Amino acid sequence: MKLAFIYFLTGLLAYFILPEAYLYTVGFAMLFAALSASWDLTVGYTGQVNLGHTTFVGLGAYIFAVLLAGRLGFEFNIYVAFLAAILVSASLGAAFGAIALRLRGYYFALITAILPLVFMQTVFIFSEVFGGEEGFSIGLERGVTPEWRYLFALLVSFAVLSILLLIVRSRFGVRFMAIRDNEELAEAIGIDTTKYKVLSFTISSAMAGFVGAAIVLYRITVSPDLYSVDLMLMIILASVVGGIGTIYGPFFFGLLVYLLKVFVVREFLLSFGLRMSDEIILYAILIIAAIMMPNGIAAMFKRHIKRID
Amino acid sequence: MRKIVLFAILWLSISCVNAGEIVVGVLGPMDVPEGYSQLKAVQLAAEEINAAGGILGNKIKVVYGDDKLKPDVGASEFRRLAEIEKAKVIIGGFSSGVMLATMEVMAETKTLFLADSSTPQASAKVAENYEKYKYWFRLQNNATTFAYDTEDMIRYLISKGYEVKKVYIIKDEHIWTEDVTKALYPILEKLGVQVVKDVKIPRGYSEFEKLIIEAEKLDADLIIPILALTGTDDVLVKQWATLKPKILLAGHTITAIDADFYERTNGAANYLIFSAHGGVVVTSPPTQMCKHFIEAYRSKYGKYPEAHQAYGAYDALYLYKTAVENAFKAGEKDPFDPEVVVKYLEMFNESNPIELTRKIAFTSNHDLAWGDKYVKNWVSQWQDGKQYILYPEKMATAELKLPPWFKEEKKTPGFELLLAMIAIVAVALRLRG
Amino acid sequence: MSAVASLVIYGAVIGGIWALVAAGFSLIFGVMRVLNFGHGAIFISAAYATVAFAAFGMHIAFVGSLLIGLAVGLIIYFLIKPVRKKEITAVIVTLAFALLVQHLLLLIFGNRGLTVQPVVDGLFEVFGAKFAAIRVVTLIAAILVLLALETVMRTSFGKQITAVSEDSDAAMLLGIDVERVYLLVILISSLLAAIAGYFYVQVFSVNPELGLKVLIYAFAIVILGGLGSIKGSVISSFILGYIIAATILFLSPRWSELVMLLAIVLTLIIRPYGIFGVKE
Repeated sequence: MKLAFIYFLTGLLAYFILPEAYLYTVGFAMLFAALSASWDLTVGYTGQVNLGHTTFVGLGAYIFAVLLAGRLGFEFNIYVAFLAAILVSASLGAAFGAIALRLRGYYFALITAILPLVFMQTVFIFSEVFGGEEGFSIGLERGVTPEWRYLFALLVSFAVLSILLLIVRSRFGVRFMAIRDNEELAEAIGIDTTKYKVLSFTISSAMAGFVGAAIVLYRITVSPDLYSVDLMLMIILASVVGGIGTIYGPFFFGLLVYLLKVFVVREFLLSFGLRMSDEIILYAILIIAAIMMPNGIAAMFKRHIKRID
Repeated sequence: MRKIVLFAILWLSISCVNAGEIVVGVLGPMDVPEGYSQLKAVQLAAEEINAAGGILGNKIKVVYGDDKLKPDVGASEFRRLAEIEKAKVIIGGFSSGVMLATMEVMAETKTLFLADSSTPQASAKVAENYEKYKYWFRLQNNATTFAYDTEDMIRYLISKGYEVKKVYIIKDEHIWTEDVTKALYPILEKLGVQVVKDVKIPRGYSEFEKLIIEAEKLDADLIIPILALTGTDDVLVKQWATLKPKILLAGHTITAIDADFYERTNGAANYLIFSAHGGVVVTSPPTQMCKHFIEAYRSKYGKYPEAHQAYGAYDALYLYKTAVENAFKAGEKDPFDPEVVVKYLEMFNESNPIELTRKIAFTSNHDLAWGDKYVKNWVSQWQDGKQYILYPEKMATAELKLPPWFKEEKKTPGFELLLAMIAIVAVALRLRG
Repeated sequence: MSAVASLVIYGAVIGGIWALVAAGFSLIFGVMRVLNFGHGAIFISAAYATVAFAAFGMHIAFVGSLLIGLAVGLIIYFLIKPVRKKEITAVIVTLAFALLVQHLLLLIFGNRGLTVQPVVDGLFEVFGAKFAAIRVVTLIAAILVLLALETVMRTSFGKQITAVSEDSDAAMLLGIDVERVYLLVILISSLLAAIAGYFYVQVFSVNPELGLKVLIYAFAIVILGGLGSIKGSVISSFILGYIIAATILFLSPRWSELVMLLAIVLTLIIRPYGIFGVKE
């Protein structure tokens, strides 16, 4: 937990040092970091390849935005909207997990890969409510005020990180890991594996919904990109390079990857005179990282992390 | 974390603003023509203006942001251009989703935004809350004006003796197409035209053959596509040219405006009638400056402007220059102050248009004025690899050409080929057994 | 009558193209236990190769597209070789590769759709239903290729493939060169996907986003048909083709994707292992 507090304090310090425009991007990076850490709970701790995390990001974001902006005819209070976003994501996660997690890993991966696309379709088909391809704006006055925005992102990401750390260090976390390491053995010593897999999937989905709603509040608008495969790939990239099954790895590399993507990669390419999409570099890095360091960078520092923490 | 802070400080020290320099930001998706053609157009305009002494003696420096068609990236990049690069004006934006997100940042940073994008939602915001969104001006026609273009198109066809009684509409499921059809239906009723079907298609849709055949069965005279975001209007054109129905294809197929559309569709675009959104087709520039721009662009980059957004972006910089200079002449203390520039941009209204590559005038909601005297999506047609304007008369460069298959009796190629192929399968099945 | 005839043809053509893609995807999974998310990249590279070589004639373009398809398949083989045992990593590597290819193609060819003149021009009219002749050619080609695949599976090499897919360790003990089987399986699957790409671009057109779309169709098909079952994939390709065609014809084009995806979710609830899948 010490690292989490260090993160919080550093983030607070940055608030006084960095200019506003950088803070804005750093805030986005923090929310993204929270997303990739919440993905880790299913993938890194119970070993289930969930490729549909963005389903819950998008769902939380849309539920929140629709309720808050009164697109159903009645404007809801912000807390109600937040609660609804979390509850809907959690219950969908639970229902879906209860069906899909009984399947073998491969099936689970395939089916979760399709899930966000189903929900993305609903955005287009019910475009009167969800705004279709262009999405909609909840209105500047409903968002977080500019002075608070960065602190809001810091707080959200810190909360997600802390909760995740508490969970993986509780008895639940131990059982999750037992399932990941050897499912048959876990079952043999009396762990209801399906129940715990569903539990971890539900928590992870609820958090994705929560962060999705926070993203809407942060950037004022909601649009189908929150369901996209690209976002999923970014989450995977950050987590794989950072090291899945560590929470810290995906979190801090989420932060780093987002900032690198925005600030460095493009400049780097431009300096070589290459007019090239930075995605190409990122995906190449991902391939190399996944092949060369299957355990992620965090694994190398695992002992150090443990010592600091 | 420390690294990031260090890096940011380093960054800041590099990007200090030089005196006597006006920074202009370009925002767009830099991987696709809609974005990079805007950047290239602005760079061209900046070079020209700098060679002539800049804006009030200040040289223009062009910086850009890549929004990758993502709202969050667009919002971040807009903020970076406005606050770190200290851009006085930001030109560009494309795609309604990104536009909506960046408009919020614009309102907060109070940055002048000369924008692309046709979504009706954007100017509606200016109408709703003028003080907040007044920094936004659009250099493309509002998508709803497409209904009026279609009226022109149908009237023109009727005047040329092509009977239009029944139409079949194919539109993408984007929200603006609803606004278009809402305005279009009363117009069609007035013209005595019946809509036999109005089909919505999803993004990436490619089975147009069935729709064309259905249109034929319903005895339609005209298929009106209203497509911008499917990304597959080329498939529609191809399948229309393959099936050769006696139905004209005339409407809003956004990529048909591109100079290389004919080549890309392998000539299937021949005889396609389209409305030239943005008000320019390369072969017939509407103004002197437009002619100059197209040639200058070609000699600098070796290609015609890759997307129609380029004209708006080129206009935007000249428009900004003129507004600032007008403000200076009027004795404004700070002619670069966005609050001031907005006032002087608004002076280009319907009674006082400015002639750039197109004739630009703004409505009270900062929409581009639509009409013969301003910017209009000319009724145009692809004929043997070239784009021609058909209407209005004084712009026209060619007469309407009907596809040759309208005259010929249709021949149905043989059952023989079909039978031969079935035979091959039968033989293969036998061999297998 | 014409509605039925056009439904039969349209459904079969879509089904035929997807069957080629899905059969290869299924074959790779069945033998190597790897979900090849890069399968769409093979398809789309072959489609673009067809466009690029079309100027030299469609026969050259055919050879060119097959060669490019094989080359991409070979790259995938080497990428997954070191991570074959780790299911997560293999998925990540191939998915990243698919997006890498997509962005490279975007860089080279741009985001606009590209198309070529089909090898067979003209129309067919059967029972009052009209359709482009190239659709029939595509369908027949797909059927022939699938029959050829079946023939290959019956040869002694095919038996080796089956042996490896059932138990790779036992197959190795029997003296089968498992590595060689893996390589050939990927190449065969690439060939199928490349042929599909070659015909697809003639009926429709190709743009960089198509790769992911194809992949999603392949997923849907194998979920419906059962993972690893080639027969299941082929049959469910046609089922899916008919679902899509019927939705467009009788409901509305805009529902076609959603209906397809819902059909998958429904299958999942009723028969989680697919129609032809076996519970492991």
